Amino acid sequence: MYKRSRKGSKTENRNTSNDNTYTDTYGPIPKSVEDVNARLSEIFSDCTDFIQREISCGKNGLIRILVAYFDGFIDKRVLNQDVVHPILDFFSNTELNESRSIYCRLKECVVVNNDIKEAYDMQQAVDGIISGEALLFIDGDDKALVIGVKSPQGRQVEEPDTETSIRGAREGFVENLLTNTTLIRKRIKNPNLKMEMMHIGKQTQTEVCICYIKGIANEEIVREVRERLKKIKIDAVLESGVIEQFISDSRLSLFPTVGSTEKCDKLAAKLLEGRIAIFCDGTPYVLTVPYLFIESIQATDDYYDHAYFATFMRLLRIIALLVSNILPGMYVALVSFHQTVIPFNLMITLASSRHGIPFSPFSEAVLMIVAFEFLREAGVRMPRPIGQALSIVGAIVLGEASVAAGIASNLMVIIVAITAVCSFIVPPLIRATMLLRFVFLAAANFLGFLGIALSAVVVIIHLCRLRSFGVPYMAPFSPLTVSDLKDSILVVPIWAMVTRPRVLRQENARSTRGTKRQEVKAKH
Amino acid sequence: MILRNIKKRTIIVLVAIVLIFPLMLTGCWNNRDLTEMNIVVGIGLDRTEDGKVLLTVQIVEPASVQSVPSGKDNKGNAQSKAVFVVSHEGETVFEAVRGILSTIDKKMFLSSSRVLIFGERLLQGDLEEVLDFFHRDHEMDYGMDILAAKDTTPREILAMETDMDSIPAVYIRETIENTVARGTVKKTTLVELIKDLESGTRQLTIGKITKASEKEVRTEGVAVLKDGKLVGWLDPYETRGYLFAIGKVQSAIVNVPTDNGKISIEIIRTNGKVGVVFENGEPSTLTIKVEIEANVGEYAGKGKLKSQDDLHVLEETLKEEIKKEIMMALEKTQKEYSSDIFGFGIYVRKYHAKYWKKVKKNWNDIFSKLPVDIQVDAKIMRTGIIKSTMSGDE
Repeated sequence: MYKRSRKGSKTENRNTSNDNTYTDTYGPIPKSVEDVNARLSEIFSDCTDFIQREISCGKNGLIRILVAYFDGFIDKRVLNQDVVHPILDFFSNTELNESRSIYCRLKECVVVNNDIKEAYDMQQAVDGIISGEALLFIDGDDKALVIGVKSPQGRQVEEPDTETSIRGAREGFVENLLTNTTLIRKRIKNPNLKMEMMHIGKQTQTEVCICYIKGIANEEIVREVRERLKKIKIDAVLESGVIEQFISDSRLSLFPTVGSTEKCDKLAAKLLEGRIAIFCDGTPYVLTVPYLFIESIQATDDYYDHAYFATFMRLLRIIALLVSNILPGMYVALVSFHQTVIPFNLMITLASSRHGIPFSPFSEAVLMIVAFEFLREAGVRMPRPIGQALSIVGAIVLGEASVAAGIASNLMVIIVAITAVCSFIVPPLIRATMLLRFVFLAAANFLGFLGIALSAVVVIIHLCRLRSFGVPYMAPFSPLTVSDLKDSILVVPIWAMVTRPRVLRQENARSTRGTKRQEVKAKH
Repeated sequence: MILRNIKKRTIIVLVAIVLIFPLMLTGCWNNRDLTEMNIVVGIGLDRTEDGKVLLTVQIVEPASVQSVPSGKDNKGNAQSKAVFVVSHEGETVFEAVRGILSTIDKKMFLSSSRVLIFGERLLQGDLEEVLDFFHRDHEMDYGMDILAAKDTTPREILAMETDMDSIPAVYIRETIENTVARGTVKKTTLVELIKDLESGTRQLTIGKITKASEKEVRTEGVAVLKDGKLVGWLDPYETRGYLFAIGKVQSAIVNVPTDNGKISIEIIRTNGKVGVVFENGEPSTLTIKVEIEANVGEYAGKGKLKSQDDLHVLEETLKEEIKKEIMMALEKTQKEYSSDIFGFGIYVRKYHAKYWKKVKKNWNDIFSKLPVDIQVDAKIMRTGIIKSTMSGDE
């Protein structure tokens, strides 16, 4: 499976791209080791980390073998122990038997390593070398052995910084693809857990792996994912975010229709619900599709804790989402349009806090929110040790000085603070919220509550129109799927959550609005 | 394909229309900041001697209301006044409202007004004339309390300073709440006033406000109006009788004399209903039915509530006491003012519509001449946690 899919993707790459020297065919593997050596030196000229070693062994040094690999990419100790050492041992002790080729013997009984593939032409050989495997060329044979002795490099598995939970597995994904797939395999011990590898990126040839559970995941969605991934034409895939942008259903939407996670247990849960994961080498962020709106307010803790608390938390998150979107807009609408609905005592408080502020509520709100966004972005970008200085500046400048200087009212500071805190409660939607907040604010300044209502209508219509790999984004609310409501705002205890999400397994998963119509037409 | 496109386009156009139409429906188009308004907390209306409307408004100075350190207070100035009072004359209320703008800095925001106080002279004229503006204006808070000033002018009351609350209008409103709990003032909101005035079946009553001292007001009693004109006042006890009859008493303390002293009884629940008995198509008697639940609050004197019988006796005296109060109110309105503030007219209109049409104009005269049948049903629920008085003789 692994090999086939790899080959498939490669041939396609080769057929489609002509502008790139790398994907040109290099022709067959020369029989003579000297020729191979020369050919490789030519291909990998100016690559100082490229290492070739010729071994002469057997009687009179008649058997000549060339080992080629990239330094640092492979585990040299393993290479010596499993490959070079046995070869030297074997040929110095054994009489050369002419009945079988040296190549077959090497492959079948000399090389200790289990992960052996064959390269039939120069192209495959070069692919092997650049993806970190050791190549074994034998004088007199036009095939080469590809030996997987990749050294396990990179970060240790540790707790992800971006997604923390009080209860649950602490393991997070790392940059290494194989480590990541292993983490999932360890959790789902099931032969139906399928991993399909492919390479994306003309220059980077990044390994991408589609992972799903056969029998649980909807086959049509899997096929759709495969097709969309194949269609990606790009030079480099350095992060799964690149893939995300290519495979999103509506690429212009503010809302994410592809999920990403760093947590192993979260991904395992999503796979078990029938979702499909897309691993990408070089990043700890694993994509999940289809991604629905409701997932943004779900957290792994919800399922490990009692259902009462989970339900309360969901409610809290929904409220926080609303608050972080419309609170500044609401405030502006109240203060500049609908003073009539403010309770009297609050009104006096409002008026006294606004007294002497030189800005209109709208500009005051924009000012404070932008100042907060500055702080937030600075907090992300700047080197960690300076962090403290920033938080002090933020607290003093935003909280105290601006009020004392009469630039902002203290109520506005509170509102911006609440808004900011709330926006961090639903991390997947932080970016959407950040922009929508300004939309609501502008609408409120223009038309008051009516403006907020109108923009909310637009946003809700947009949300209901969105689809993620054919699955309605707002499911289970729109279309209403009663059986899926068990894991929406209401969370039923885990023993009562008997069925998997129905929306993910609907018959016509690939349907967009168009295909549905065509069906209707066909019936008539 | 074409069909599909057309359909899609139609939907987009429809949605666009649906979204655009509300833009034209905006009632409150103006974006107006809170800091660009004068927040009015109290309105006073009176007539000058030459018949003009005299409008007085109490306006809040938000910065000095709260002692929140917002850093923009004038330094050195200890405590500036929280409110200022402005008056203006005009031919109509609206003219006065606009005219005031020539003396103050920002536009007035009237819907935050807590109280609307009418002067005696204004009430002697036609109330309907001035109420029209409050009814017509879209920015009015229909829940604001209406008061009638006795022996003083609205301006005097609004200009009073009080130590209770930094905003006098709020202080006034709160005294009303308290007095309502004692059952001695009728809380009249703007919307009730307008409703009663328009239906014409019940004569108006407005809570009375007087000056208690230099810094205090008293809200007790009601002003009785007849066809929108002031005809007289009811004192606190008469007011309570009136409120018992129409079932508006929330709680009250009624003193009942006994052999060994006085018992204060706390009324906790009342229900009052008025009606008219008809004989041969003509009204013969006015009926008032009152149900009362009460607790014994205090026994001042020597004595003991020993048995059920004692309580029954007490209930009987309480009934008499309340009947007396209702009688007082009724007699005054019948004999002196000839104004049906109880709403017997509502009953007649409801159940004897034909007859009502005939007598609508002179119902008050008929009302004044009818005999009354008052039935009070009182129940003493609890007597507190002690049985006898402290000096009770055993």
